[in-house]
Amino acid sequence: MKKGFYLRLALDGMRKNRRLYLPYLLTCGGMVMMFYILYSLAYSPAVQTMRGGSTMTVVLLLGTIVVAVFALLFLLYTNSFLAKRRNREFGLYNVLGMNKRNLSRILAWETVVSALVSILGGLIGGLLLSKLAELCLIRMAGERTGYAITVAPRSIAATFLFFGAIFALLLLVSLARVGISKPLDLLKSEAAGEKPPRANWVLALVGLLLLGAAYYLAVTIESPLTALFIFFAAVLMVIVATYLLFIAGSVTLCKLLQRNKRYYYKSAHFVSVSSMAFRMKRNGAGLASICILATMVLVMLSSTGCLYFGGEDAIRGMAPYDVTVALRYAAPEACSGEALRELADLVHDLSGGREKNLMTVTDVNFGGYFENGSLDLDGYSRILEISSSPSVLEHLRSVYFLPLEDFDLETDRQPEPGEALVWSSGAAYPYDTLAVEGCTPIRVVGTVRELPFRLTTEETLVTAYCVFLPDWAERAGEVQNYCASLEDEMALPETVQVCFFDLPGLSEEEQLRVTENLRQALRDRMEEEDRAWTGFTTNDRADLHSSFFSMNGSLFFLGIILSIVFIAAAALIIYYKQLSEGYEDQRRFGIMQKVGMTGREIKSAVDSQVLTVFFAPLLMSGLHLAFAFPFVQKLIRLFGVSNTHLLILTSVLCFLAFGLFYVFVYRRTARAYIAIVSEGDERR
Amino acid sequence: MSILEVRDLKKVYTSRFGTQQVEALRRVNFTVEKGEYVAVMGESGSGKTTLLNLLAALDKPTGGTVLLDGVDLSTLPEKDVASFRRGQLGFVFQEFNLLDTFTLEDNIYLPLVLAGRNHKEMAERLEPLARWLGIDGLLKKYPYEVSGGQKQRAAVARALITDPKLLLADEPTGALDSRSTDELLSLFAQVNRSGQTIVMVTHSVKAASHATRVLFIRDGEVFHQLYRGKDTNEQLYQKISDTLTVLATGGEAR
Ligand SMILES: Nc1ncnc2c1ncn2[C@@H]1O[C@H](COP(=O)(O)OP(=O)(O)OP(=O)(O)O)[C@@H](O)[C@H]1O
Ligand SMILES: [Mg+2]
Repeated sequence: MKKGFYLRLALDGMRKNRRLYLPYLLTCGGMVMMFYILYSLAYSPAVQTMRGGSTMTVVLLLGTIVVAVFALLFLLYTNSFLAKRRNREFGLYNVLGMNKRNLSRILAWETVVSALVSILGGLIGGLLLSKLAELCLIRMAGERTGYAITVAPRSIAATFLFFGAIFALLLLVSLARVGISKPLDLLKSEAAGEKPPRANWVLALVGLLLLGAAYYLAVTIESPLTALFIFFAAVLMVIVATYLLFIAGSVTLCKLLQRNKRYYYKSAHFVSVSSMAFRMKRNGAGLASICILATMVLVMLSSTGCLYFGGEDAIRGMAPYDVTVALRYAAPEACSGEALRELADLVHDLSGGREKNLMTVTDVNFGGYFENGSLDLDGYSRILEISSSPSVLEHLRSVYFLPLEDFDLETDRQPEPGEALVWSSGAAYPYDTLAVEGCTPIRVVGTVRELPFRLTTEETLVTAYCVFLPDWAERAGEVQNYCASLEDEMALPETVQVCFFDLPGLSEEEQLRVTENLRQALRDRMEEEDRAWTGFTTNDRADLHSSFFSMNGSLFFLGIILSIVFIAAAALIIYYKQLSEGYEDQRRFGIMQKVGMTGREIKSAVDSQVLTVFFAPLLMSGLHLAFAFPFVQKLIRLFGVSNTHLLILTSVLCFLAFGLFYVFVYRRTARAYIAIVSEGDERR
Repeated sequence: MSILEVRDLKKVYTSRFGTQQVEALRRVNFTVEKGEYVAVMGESGSGKTTLLNLLAALDKPTGGTVLLDGVDLSTLPEKDVASFRRGQLGFVFQEFNLLDTFTLEDNIYLPLVLAGRNHKEMAERLEPLARWLGIDGLLKKYPYEVSGGQKQRAAVARALITDPKLLLADEPTGALDSRSTDELLSLFAQVNRSGQTIVMVTHSVKAASHATRVLFIRDGEVFHQLYRGKDTNEQLYQKISDTLTVLATGGEAR
């Protein structure tokens, strides 16, 4: 045969079916592009050299893997859809005398053309957009970079290899499909009578139960970290349940409706319900996929968005001051004003006198189980380990003993020895006395409205009491001695002298330099013998800021990229669904008209079904999102963001934006549908 | 009084861009009396399906009128046409045209459901009809699960369940084997004897030989017609064959 004959047949076939191929190629190209962008960013020098760059590389590589796996699955799915549509053509070629080898050659050419077009197109797009993506990513992480465009040969090679392998796999699958089919089957495969949907009660019920169980799990999870495994189980259950409900549950529901004769035999329901059963049988899997993709997009965007936008607040909570330095002591009696003064002088020197709001606090803090005004110290560490149930958590307190004389507190009555003023991070302190185990009970004579310094969010995770004592040294000593007698490392109170200050007007880099110098000075001081403290810790906001945003910024970035990928995939599924619906409805339209339905009646019946079919996944994903909410809330709290309103806001906004986009895709693809149906009109 | 009156019916198909025109029907005139069983014959492409579509107001004529029971269909608004169609007309098609999303039973109910009848009444109507057509055991099956002959009988049931004034059939035997064809033709003859008016388009001489009158269409016009009179099916068959031979050898119009 002539050279290029098969290539021409392949190209012809693709051109004739461009309604199917064009979106397919676009999606393939998009996947290639996203893969390239993520991969090249992960190894981009600009990312790797920035602060927190290694976290970013890990996050980005994880994202690359997700895109890769998804691309594989999704392209397999769309390829099988395409194959189904093209079987007729192949059947015809086959009947006209082409053998399977000839068909395979056409297929091979088709795959090669698709692969070249989508990989090259995707790479070009990727090269163009990767710089933009890099700028976005680095900007989101709160840094700056140059504008030079880079070409990453390594990423290009990886993209070629990976997608080349995928297309080779697709080719193998298609060849296998042609290999096992008989010619007449190929011809008939589309026209073959479709089996009516059967209600599968068991599967529908299993789906419902699974969904209920998964929702229950997701809502009742207490601590996201220990229950991460449970949450993944819940996610899997939701996925399975979604598929079951869309595939079996929907058909079963239609069958139930059909059983109710008075409902079913009404002209408003008759056609809709029965064809809905068929539609759901055909589209169940596709719709469930859309639903899952939508849910992933929503959860991802709302949580990473919330993390990103809630970042500043969270950092302010985690580090209320620009710099915090804490000196640790072995026991309260070792504390001295001298060490604090020395520290303050050091800070003053190192920051060049630009420190503001400097403040020093001496405290002894410990935790316990609180009930009826008495604090149980014994076994506190054990409680922390074994249980985090809300009933126990409610009783846990962290207590800070502070010397009254250090502060200038407003109060009606100055406490005498044996008395104290109390500040609570939660509800006001409700009792007259505070009896700490092993100490003389303290009479509470007043409450402090406003704490003269700020605690971190971490320190107020359980309700904190700050107790201002006139006889601080004695009380602190009692606690220290009692705890030491328990012979439990964990139970020992912490004695610290803390120095907070802000560095207004200094850039992040300068702030980091100040704290680094401070740390170095303290490390040097540690070498010397004549100091009372045993160790030190620092907490600086600039460092927290950069690590927080390199993490959350890259998560949000990844969230956006993956959302684009998933949304594109969902859009393609919707589009293909509309096409196949169109082909199916073409014939029915004619028959119904002949039996005496008006065009408008038919159109409205079909419209309502198509709408139901397409918007069911959206509603379901909204439901999933709602049930995932408590978990997401707890999860992002781990990252230090506990702004529930913000999370609600981002969730709702994401849902609305996604809904809007969905309607847009639906409208656009509906045109293809109408075109097909009216083609049938003309033929009739 | 005639139940169907066709006057100077004309249909010209224009291609999408108006570049080509096909005159499917030029000037068709005929009437059908109540209780008649009329077969319409003609070569492929002579415009038989076109004629049937116009009778059912599924398509608009380019010229001329169709009066069904005295009503000019082209003057009715779309909504009324549809309800008229489902109330007064029954259809049987070559390719059955059953909806594959419905069981046979529901396919048959379709026109009644659209007309807003209640389920009890529908069931009462279906029961004797299904028994008579021999499909009472198949009602719960889907079209793809039954044979062509059975599908066609379900289609007949769907056409008759509304008690239509006129039963229209387009090649009803075209997709059937000879046994199913015989069964269907004898069913048609039976319904006709009980008073049902039928207009049937067909290629098949055998099918036409069951009718009480046969119209021949050529070049978009009614070219000739044969009345059964007192003839048996065999005699009519012979006459039709003779006429077709004359037509094929290019005999002149009557
Ligand atoms: N929708 C249409 N658009 C354009 N031309 C049409 C259309 N439908 C039919 N025609 C043309 O009108 C003529 C009559 O067609 P029609 O289908 O009525 O023939 P027929 O007698 O039913 O043929 P057959 O016996 O093969 O079914 C043919 O030349 C056909 O090509
Ligand atoms: Mg025809």
